[in-house]
Amino acid sequence: MKRSELIFQSIALITLAVAFILFWNFSKGVSFVENGTLFDATVTDSYSVLQENLNRMIPILLGAILFSVAIAFYLEEYLARTSWKYQIIARQIAILASIPSLLYGILGTYFFVFKTEFGSFFTHALTFVLLVLPITIQSTQRAIRGVDISVREAAYALGAKRRHVIVHHVFPHAFSTIMAGIFIAISRTLAISALIIVVYVWTEHTPQSGDPFHIPGSVIVLLLLSLLSSVLSSFLEAKTNWS
Amino acid sequence: MKTKIQVSDLKVHYGNIQALNGISFDVYENEILGIIGPAQSGKTTLLKVINRTLEFAQGTTVEGSVQLDGVDIYSIRDVHGLRRRIGMVLPLPVGLPLSIYDNVAFAPRTAGMRKKAELDEIVERCLQQAALWDEVKDRLDSLGTKLSGGQQQRLTIARALSHQPEILCLDEFSIAVDPITTMRIEDVLKTLKDEMTILLVTNLVQQAKRLANRTAFMLNGDLIEIDDTDVIFSDNPASQSTFDYITGNFG
Repeated sequence: MKRSELIFQSIALITLAVAFILFWNFSKGVSFVENGTLFDATVTDSYSVLQENLNRMIPILLGAILFSVAIAFYLEEYLARTSWKYQIIARQIAILASIPSLLYGILGTYFFVFKTEFGSFFTHALTFVLLVLPITIQSTQRAIRGVDISVREAAYALGAKRRHVIVHHVFPHAFSTIMAGIFIAISRTLAISALIIVVYVWTEHTPQSGDPFHIPGSVIVLLLLSLLSSVLSSFLEAKTNWS
Repeated sequence: MKTKIQVSDLKVHYGNIQALNGISFDVYENEILGIIGPAQSGKTTLLKVINRTLEFAQGTTVEGSVQLDGVDIYSIRDVHGLRRRIGMVLPLPVGLPLSIYDNVAFAPRTAGMRKKAELDEIVERCLQQAALWDEVKDRLDSLGTKLSGGQQQRLTIARALSHQPEILCLDEFSIAVDPITTMRIEDVLKTLKDEMTILLVTNLVQQAKRLANRTAFMLNGDLIEIDDTDVIFSDNPASQSTFDYITGNFG
């Protein structure tokens, strides 16, 4: 058999397997979504835990994105890379970004839940921000660095001030890359959250009926979110293509 | 003739590499000074010192002085104001992510101009001076970065003229422009000379011969010779290396 045929058949088999898994998942999960439990957060299963988390994550996420973009611009546009401030902040961010995500979960549980009086919202917020922020800051920094120096020089040569250069030139040029980095960070967080939720529900809750976990339903929601994230990312890239 | 720019013992280092080795010369008001020389001779560095965009390159040191109308440019605190006095056109067009209109109106707006009628007048005048008006007058709202390479370079020239600079620095402006458009822009430069001082860095020695009142020849960070263009392009320039360069024996 030719190598190309082998590759083609392997791809076809994998595609078939993925299609089967998706079909199985949707056939199991759609009924759950259709039953009206989509917006019922009182159900103690993996899906409702996920939904509750998502409700809290959205405002926190927006805040974290704005904060991380601001920090990245401060680092790249206002500090010299050789300055001690840049070195200290950038290295701390690099260390935080390299820590496995699971450790953030353990840290969140141990420190914010057992050792402080914070409410549940703050527990979520602080853990999530700690998890996402270093990754989004680093990706935004890379996007800003990717903007050619000639763009800055051309704008400065016209007498533009730093804020003009950042708002009108560097940010628009870097926007699609910044958003791509943010979407990757969100996807990573969603994926990890999904795993933890499934394991948590499985180990903590005794099943009362045949299938109380509604994992297929949760997977549908996650898939839809990933699809939405991908479509939004493509839309933004198309809208911000300056070349 | 009134001296517009006075460069004295100018030395520039990029880290350990010396790009300019202590050059001195004057630029007179309302002249076109052609600056020729092979690559790595310090021509672009010289322009970047004059409009102080060299400051964005890390690890550079500048010694000596550059005076603009008798004032050392490094003593000027309003660096944005200084840059508005000096228009800069880079070798390759840099598309700012704005519409054609906004590209040209950008500099006047950052300087505080808000009146639409004034901006309209500036945009039209500058696009006409850059020989671009006829091609874009019906689509001023479309993105400047969607224009062809040659059109973008003419847009860059229009942008550089938009803040009515006293000095116009052109760094290899015709690399991305076709010969016919180059000739049209050259005609514009000849008329602009009455309004501003022009520094023309070019690898095309014949362009310097066509346009410049005086020509400077630079080589490896040294100013070899500066004189009237007729003298530089004669059979007897002061330096043999100048003669060899303009006759194509090297470079």
